[in-house]
Amino acid sequence: MTSPIHDSPVVLPEENAPSQRNDKERRLTISGVIAWIVALIFFAPIFWIFLAALKTDNTILAYPPKFIFTPTLENFAALITKPNVGLYFFNSVFLSVGSVAIAIVVSYLAAYSFSRFKPAGTDFLMFLLLSTRFVPAAAFVIPFFQLFGILNFKDTYVGLLIFYVMFSVPFSVWILKGFIDGVSQRFDETGLVNGASRAHVIFKVVLPQVKPGLVAAFVFNIIFVWNEFLFNFQLGGRNTSTIPVALFTSLYDGGATNWPYVASLGTAYVLPLAILIFFFQKYLLVGMTFGTVRGEV
Amino acid sequence: MSSSSAPSSVASRLEEGIPAPAPPRAKSKKTWWSWGLLVPVLVFFILMNVIPTIWMLGLSFYNYTLTSSGDPRFIGIDNYTQLAGAGPLWLSLGRTFTFMVLAVAIQTVLGAVVGYLFWKSNKVPGRRLALTLLFTPMILTPLSSGLFWRLMLDPVFGVINYFGELIGLEKIDFTTDATLAFPAVLVVDSWMWIPFMALMTLAALGSVPKAELEAAQVDNLSFWQRLVHVIIPAGKFIIILGILLRTIDVFKTMDLVYLMTNGGPGDRTELIAVALYRLAFKSFNLGYSSALAVLLLFIAIALTSIYLFVLNLRSRREAENA
Repeated sequence: MTSPIHDSPVVLPEENAPSQRNDKERRLTISGVIAWIVALIFFAPIFWIFLAALKTDNTILAYPPKFIFTPTLENFAALITKPNVGLYFFNSVFLSVGSVAIAIVVSYLAAYSFSRFKPAGTDFLMFLLLSTRFVPAAAFVIPFFQLFGILNFKDTYVGLLIFYVMFSVPFSVWILKGFIDGVSQRFDETGLVNGASRAHVIFKVVLPQVKPGLVAAFVFNIIFVWNEFLFNFQLGGRNTSTIPVALFTSLYDGGATNWPYVASLGTAYVLPLAILIFFFQKYLLVGMTFGTVRGEV
Repeated sequence: MSSSSAPSSVASRLEEGIPAPAPPRAKSKKTWWSWGLLVPVLVFFILMNVIPTIWMLGLSFYNYTLTSSGDPRFIGIDNYTQLAGAGPLWLSLGRTFTFMVLAVAIQTVLGAVVGYLFWKSNKVPGRRLALTLLFTPMILTPLSSGLFWRLMLDPVFGVINYFGELIGLEKIDFTTDATLAFPAVLVVDSWMWIPFMALMTLAALGSVPKAELEAAQVDNLSFWQRLVHVIIPAGKFIIILGILLRTIDVFKTMDLVYLMTNGGPGDRTELIAVALYRLAFKSFNLGYSSALAVLLLFIAIALTSIYLFVLNLRSRREAENA
């Protein structure tokens, strides 16, 4: 690399934030109506799965497809009584929350160091971290498959937790460094000059000011781990399978796809994600760009 | 805000009233802190990235097949020379490139249209809910997208075939049809990622200084003039970043294809990541597939460099303007 990396995120000007534009009254324009129609079209395939989850097996397989039917919750009742479904949900929640919590702590410390001390090799390390997330997962499955075999990590919570911590670190470091860069160094210097310890500065002065970064890192890493399929499929097993793997392995139930099961499990998988997107929409941009572009849309 | 992107320059240090550099003793303390804070991340990084990478590099020089009983045998660069002559792999790399060009073009253009639509209608009632509905496809794991679309594309009871029959088409099994499997994957991929490019378009439009937009309004510029002279100069970086992220993602596309078509029919939809996975876990030729993995690693590093170069351009320009 010939040029140094100014690895601060692109930050959108705040004057353009929608909250400020929105202070005028709500209006339904033609473009607004079209925008709503477009949104509904994009959501339609997911809505179709929601509908399938409320249909009986025969109704799902009916042709022509039934748009009007008597909804039933029996698929969800059947889902809850399936032996492993509770475990899949526990695994998804435990692995995502556990690994992301650890990842954010270690990433915050590293991001502080990268932002404030800029030790030699900072640019290179930031580059390497980002590139690990840009490599096809399939490329790394082989060495992990063998290493996990040697370490006896296969199908264990410890192994998968460690894996998902590293899976979440690159994005967390990037996003948190961007937010810490946005906090003036004057805060650190003032604190130190007034006799505060470095630890006090790190946790009591800077940390409260990067809360949005912590929230964004937390929410989006949870989503990424919640969604991860390939490594859980290859490194996990019957004890540690998460929902995506459950969706995949249950696809063929006695030869044919068990659609009532897939649809109800799929619905239970999508709903938390959609709710997160609704409440944390302002972090979507920074989340989907690995912390490199910041701003509200 | 933008001045904080270059906080280490002397001018900005003075401006922010930061005291002069600390005396030597404090400096060694600083070094301790700077590396001490990095230790946990470095431990994870070495354990979960450096070692697997070295392992992969090492494997790529061995003849090692899980299904044969023989011990791994060092064969130098034979795997790489075999790779260079492997026609099907270069075909699937070419196919990945075709897919990339088509997917990125479709998603950028349609994403820009959708993004602009939402930009224009920023006061529509329930905008947040509408955006949630729009953005949900891109937040799904590709595996579940493939699954959901299989329900709709089913040759027997799928709703897409039903609509097709309504307008006089015959029922089609999209995922096993030689000509339609590739477009089908392309459509589902676009369904997932047009919303992403719409998000980037919204961000790009948000980065246009409001004052310049108002000035353009006062000057009575036409839509195209505003686009060329005001919106594109300010917004192009974010769009380019979006395009690069999509490009990188196409090289990673595996789960979606694996679930929808499993690379078939034949090899019609076998993108490079799918080929790699099949090589590793169907033929169990670990040495050879590691060589391919190393090649993909280099492609990823090259794309990351380009991404950061563009990001860097943008920060430099901001620093100059500040």
